[in-house]
Amino acid sequence: MQPTSSPASGSYAPAATSRRQVFRVRGLTKIYGEGTAQVRALDGVDLDLYEGELVVLLGPSGSGKTTLLNQLGGLDIPTAGELAYRDSDLTHATEAQLTNYRRNSVGFIFQFYNLIPSLTARENVGLITEIARDPMPPEEALAMVNLTPRMDHFPAQLSGGEQQRVAIARAIAKRPEVLLCDEPTGALDVRTGIVVLEALERANRELGTLTILITHNAVMAEMADRVIHFSDGRVLSEHRNATRAAPSTLRW
Amino acid sequence: MLPHLDRKLIRDLRRLKGQAAAVSLVMACGLAMLIMARSLISSLDGTRAEYYQTNHFAEIFASLRRAPNHLQEQLRAIPGVATVQTDLSSPVTLDLPGLGEPAGGMVRSLPDFGEPELNRLFLRRGRWLSPGARGEVLVGEAFALANQLNPGDSLTMLLHGRRQQFRIAGIVLSPEYIFESRPGAALPDNRTYGIFWMPYKEAATAFDLYGAFNHVAITLAPGANEQPVLKELDRLLLPYGGFGAFARKDHPSHIRVSDEIRVLSILSIGFPTVFLSVAAFMTNAVLTRLLSLQREQIAILKAFGFTNRQIVVHYLKFAFVMVVAGLVLGLCGGLFLGLKLVKMYELFFRFPDLQFTFDRPAVIVALGVGLAAVTVGVFGAVRRAAKLPPAEAMRPEPPASFRPAFVERAGFAHLFTHSFRIAIRNLERRPVQALFTVIGLSLATALLILPNTFKAGIASVLDFQWDVVQRQDINVGLIEPSSARTANEIAQLPGVISLEPARNAAVRIHFNGRNRQIGLRSLIPGGIHSRAVDKEGREIMPPPDGIILSAKLADVLGAKVGDQVTVESLEGKRRTVTVTLAGLAEDFTGIAAYMDLHTINRFLGEGDVITGASITLDLAKRAEFLEALKGIPRISYAVIKESLRKSFRDTTAQSMGLLQTIYLTFAVIVSFGVIYNNARISLAERSRELATLRVVGMTQREVGAVLVIELTILALIAVPAGLVLGTGFSTVIIHAVNTETVRLPLVFTPYTYSYAVIVVVIASTISALFVLRQLNKLDLIAALKAPE
Ligand SMILES: Nc1ncnc2c1ncn2[C@@H]1O[C@H](COP(=O)(O)OP(=O)(O)O)[C@@H](O)[C@H]1O
Ligand SMILES: [Mg+2]
Repeated sequence: MQPTSSPASGSYAPAATSRRQVFRVRGLTKIYGEGTAQVRALDGVDLDLYEGELVVLLGPSGSGKTTLLNQLGGLDIPTAGELAYRDSDLTHATEAQLTNYRRNSVGFIFQFYNLIPSLTARENVGLITEIARDPMPPEEALAMVNLTPRMDHFPAQLSGGEQQRVAIARAIAKRPEVLLCDEPTGALDVRTGIVVLEALERANRELGTLTILITHNAVMAEMADRVIHFSDGRVLSEHRNATRAAPSTLRW
Repeated sequence: MLPHLDRKLIRDLRRLKGQAAAVSLVMACGLAMLIMARSLISSLDGTRAEYYQTNHFAEIFASLRRAPNHLQEQLRAIPGVATVQTDLSSPVTLDLPGLGEPAGGMVRSLPDFGEPELNRLFLRRGRWLSPGARGEVLVGEAFALANQLNPGDSLTMLLHGRRQQFRIAGIVLSPEYIFESRPGAALPDNRTYGIFWMPYKEAATAFDLYGAFNHVAITLAPGANEQPVLKELDRLLLPYGGFGAFARKDHPSHIRVSDEIRVLSILSIGFPTVFLSVAAFMTNAVLTRLLSLQREQIAILKAFGFTNRQIVVHYLKFAFVMVVAGLVLGLCGGLFLGLKLVKMYELFFRFPDLQFTFDRPAVIVALGVGLAAVTVGVFGAVRRAAKLPPAEAMRPEPPASFRPAFVERAGFAHLFTHSFRIAIRNLERRPVQALFTVIGLSLATALLILPNTFKAGIASVLDFQWDVVQRQDINVGLIEPSSARTANEIAQLPGVISLEPARNAAVRIHFNGRNRQIGLRSLIPGGIHSRAVDKEGREIMPPPDGIILSAKLADVLGAKVGDQVTVESLEGKRRTVTVTLAGLAEDFTGIAAYMDLHTINRFLGEGDVITGASITLDLAKRAEFLEALKGIPRISYAVIKESLRKSFRDTTAQSMGLLQTIYLTFAVIVSFGVIYNNARISLAERSRELATLRVVGMTQREVGAVLVIELTILALIAVPAGLVLGTGFSTVIIHAVNTETVRLPLVFTPYTYSYAVIVVVIASTISALFVLRQLNKLDLIAALKAPE
């Protein structure tokens, strides 16, 4: 498979201040369960995320990364704190507003691809573009992840990496403003993982989509504009890379 | 272009086709029954109403001994009466060449000129009577067909003892004889009983009734109330030997059709209700399973912004497709069966043209009911899907928490194989699924009970009626009450082994303001032919001052044993007597009343008379006996039990057999559907787990045993429960079906139960074999890789 052309390092150095803010997170808290069985999955998270950034969220398993992503993506409602997407307040959004937000603004990529098994690659993408406001044709999205030859295959006929690329095409086809990726390479081997990361990096670069990538694999931090370290439901630290490493240079 | 979600629907359905087909088939059975029954109801009802209208069927009827024609003026003057039509109606004996036994019937008169105002005939074949011609007769169709009589044939009748030759002008139908049968007979015997029409002049001359009438038919003015008219009519006819006027709703032929319609209405509700509940239940099982398999898919749809409504609609479409498929199948089935059954009704009911009218609203009802059933069935499951928080759904289902099963905790663990242990742990872990399977299997078992209960009930009625209650070989009826000497005359005929005289009388029985008109039957002490038998099968004999009523009649009147009931004679001196209700008889031909022969004669005050006799015959001399019987002038008819039985077996039993076969086929389809569906679902639910067992080294046999043991345990619980459920269900339906003219006993035979058990066992075995084959083909890697 042809790897996507990788960008020159640092070609996309962000100047956060000059870009518009997408998310503003303050004191975000999420508590599961009651009484003694209570779990503080998020414990006062403060975070600002900007247009076009590629942010890697690093943290050990169980530190609350997925929980944070669920709140950002409007899949769940936080227990306390502030969460604003551009001008809208997601903490007090109705079910219908959240649905609308997910439909038009967010693209999800999950560890286990979660394709609809009874639909082909093209149809999996088409399913979503059908309801989006300003989508690209499914074929175009699949071309971006280099899957044109396998468009009419069913998920069961695709390898894990290919399935994940279909999932990326599905997520970017609606031209979302935010791409949320929860351990997208978690189930893949290194080589396939790199192909998937290249597809993500390209989508971020060419579409200018704010991309948040969750991983517990520290190596991936090198491809980010910004790295956020997460632990016990809190932001531990964050730093900005001077240059973004091309995914093809990563090894783990 | 088809929306992508609908493509998913079609592909998912293609994979679920076995289960979807099972649901649709069960639904189709229910809907076919609904459409068939509703269409037959509207066919019978519509055809009858039109027939009544076109042929001016009367609303009130009365028979009497004899009244002068000028009494008509007084009858017309009764307030509320619109039309009065009088005629003659007299019993007749026939001599048919080729027919061993004497045949009888009724002669009815027609106006000498012009059509009658009421109860007009329909000419099927041949021509009407030519005005003024003598020796011509019109014959009712049922009798003509049974005896292969055609226009132009000649017919010998014994009118008032005189032998007379007639030529058949035409074959006709009458709204008074849609059901053409000897009065009081439970089953039609069209070979030996017919209706004949001749001009008034000819009939009146033959019966010595010139210038008089003995039957009257009346229609009411619009809005008139029938009760006062009946009362006034009875009062006016009393001096002329009136037998009591009755309204259309009590007309024997009308009742038979109404009863059939009533039975159909009950079946059109009862059967579909059960079948559709089963279908709803199956849809629930299929969709619940589908939704739990597609948990992640639902979550993805939600994560990508599909609304709850879109998701609910998507899953409801699964159910909708099954309903529509079921409806289409049910429609075809209903039409097919309806057309077949209309043919069967043509055997019982004589209409000019019994058209099958397809009941369009029934289709709407069927669609509505079908949709409602599955919606109820899937609503809970789909709502749960809608409520599923998208984030939650992204996590895999938590691993099941197993613990040692109850029997193991009780210390019997060492007794069981691994397969057995896994099977019972699984049952304990998923009690809801297990319960659903048990309910499904019980319903399947229960459904198999009803059709055979009907069958056993009918068989028992016949055996009871012919072997227990009426054990004679031949019943002989006289044209009118005659001296008891006639009995001696008959007893002298060749082949007679024993003879018991009978005295039947038209009476009205009153109790507490309610009354019923009925033919009172006589019993003689020590009689072995006609007997009254109680619920326990013991013979009961009315005491000299007592009466025995059939349980149904007592029920209708609201009387209990020990109550004083009033018997009003509608014949002769028209006496009234009050007697004690001495016992309740089991009689499946409907309402009946019995008194001691001598008591009846004393009460009627006409001396020692009989109206007929029952005979045990040396069957070797049957032909000789019948030939000799024709020589006795007052004989009206002879009913030979064996002929009746045979003709019943050839016609009625066959038609009823058709109906039962339909029900039984449906029940079998449903039980296969339910069981197959259950097996499929349990395989789908378990394929991952079972594949894991195979991977860790269990043999195909051992893994198969897990499923088979599970199914067996569930069946052991479900089948007995189903037998109980089916018993209850049959009891309800048969009670609902029973009327005053048809009473089916509740008979549960070992055959009925073993039939149900065997069908369920066979269905289970076939389904299990199918599932085991699938299991052996199970792609271990695929089953482990994905949840689907
Ligand atoms: N629905 C839930 N109910 C209860 N606890 C939960 C739920 N979801 C997550 N948690 C808990 O919250 C914590 C953070 O989980 P998660 O966000 O999935 O971590 P990560 O993605 O970093 O591995 C964990 O302790 C997890 O057990
Ligand atoms: Mg996680």
